[in-house]
Amino acid sequence: MKTLIASYSKGQIKIQQMAFVLVALMIFLALVALIYISFRVENIKGDVEDLGDQEARELARKLSGTPEFAFTAEDCSDCIDLDKVLVLKERKTYKDFWNLDYLQVERVYPKGDGECTKANYPNCGTITIIDDEVWTPAQAFVSLCRWEDSKGGYFRCELGRIYASGDLGNG
Amino acid sequence: MRGKKGMEFGFAWIFAIVVGAIIIFLAIYSSSRIINVDRNVQDTEIGREIGILLSPVETNLEDAEKTAIILPGGMRIFNECDSLGSFGSQDISVSVKSGIGSKWQEPGIPSTFHNKYIFSESTIEGKRLEVIAKPFEMPFKVADVIIVIGEKDYCFVNPPRYVEEEIMSLSIDKINMTSGKGECKSGSVKVCFSGSDCDIDVALNPVNDKSGSVKRKFVDGVHFEGEALLYGAIFADPGIYECQVKRLMQRTSELAGLYLEKSEYLTQKNCGSSLLQPDLIQYSKQTLSVENSFELAQVESSAQEIRRKNENLDCELF
Repeated sequence: MKTLIASYSKGQIKIQQMAFVLVALMIFLALVALIYISFRVENIKGDVEDLGDQEARELARKLSGTPEFAFTAEDCSDCIDLDKVLVLKERKTYKDFWNLDYLQVERVYPKGDGECTKANYPNCGTITIIDDEVWTPAQAFVSLCRWEDSKGGYFRCELGRIYASGDLGNG
Repeated sequence: MRGKKGMEFGFAWIFAIVVGAIIIFLAIYSSSRIINVDRNVQDTEIGREIGILLSPVETNLEDAEKTAIILPGGMRIFNECDSLGSFGSQDISVSVKSGIGSKWQEPGIPSTFHNKYIFSESTIEGKRLEVIAKPFEMPFKVADVIIVIGEKDYCFVNPPRYVEEEIMSLSIDKINMTSGKGECKSGSVKVCFSGSDCDIDVALNPVNDKSGSVKRKFVDGVHFEGEALLYGAIFADPGIYECQVKRLMQRTSELAGLYLEKSEYLTQKNCGSSLLQPDLIQYSKQTLSVENSFELAQVESSAQEIRRKNENLDCELF
């Protein structure tokens, strides 16, 4: 029976050693790169969320001044025209207009229940204009003004609140 | 051969040099890519932040608002406008001065806003930006026109009284007012309200001085209606101005539709405004078909008619 013994020169062993070291080095670098990239992606996601929230906060504060919400029949800062908002709810073109994924107007006092439709308005609690995804929404107190047809008709204002949260996928 | 010490340059050396070079190349390449991506992310975030910073500037009941945005040195803001879609869009991107390689790096990914109308030059540079917001009404409030002035100084020659009063009340540092072209600071952009041969010539309508046209040297003129668009026409590139006017008209059309629906709903509730409904239907179509600023004069005449009818209603629609 013959025994085969592989014999390597010193140079060949060195090359093998070097190759192993290089492979190990490449794996190590790849791992470092992966950890860095995942860390960066998490950071960027966080930044995008922060920017979305910041935008939603600013919008919630300023939304009462935008023409689609503003109550203009009388001079009233921070007043929302609830009749207009009820109509706005049904207009799909506004879905991506504000870069928001959630936008709701709530009647705080007197308290109302349920989502508003033309059938139950104004005896209702909320008007949801955009309802894609709810993050922690920014909120701002506003006056909700509407036409009240009792007692000969007059504009009636009540206490309300706007909820808005930023759109992470847009812009 | 005796006594001669030569260096052994075998396969091991060649292998080490080749692989070493590849590793060094990969390291340099990947780090430069990472730096570029990081800069791009930073520029994109700044672009978005600038857009967000412009929100508090918008007006509620005020005639105009002014603020300043201080930028860290060496920054360019790119203003792009697109009128596609229901409302068009406003893109803001930012490029930061680079210490390595080309002076300005590629701008970050543009931040898109559908509810902002920024009137400025296509590229704004400067450490301090003056931002003015003016409500645009036709006949109801449509949006806030945001005017951004970069590092350039402007010299208004013989402006009408309402412009003079507004600029004084807002105390805008970058606008000087004089009674003659020769009194302007050298290097400033000269804007003539009576006369011509300035960098920007404003021709006011003799009957209504809040309407007219603005012409830059060697460029086609644009038409404006109202104070907000007067400033827009002066400070914005004509291409951006025309695009923003089209976007404003798209929003006017949507708002006319919104008021029409509100009117139909309130008519059932003894808040009659049915008189306005045919005008609103017509107005919505007219504003949607506006292609350039010279059609604004006809839109303004329809707007005045709607305003007059609205004021005569017992239960005003807007």
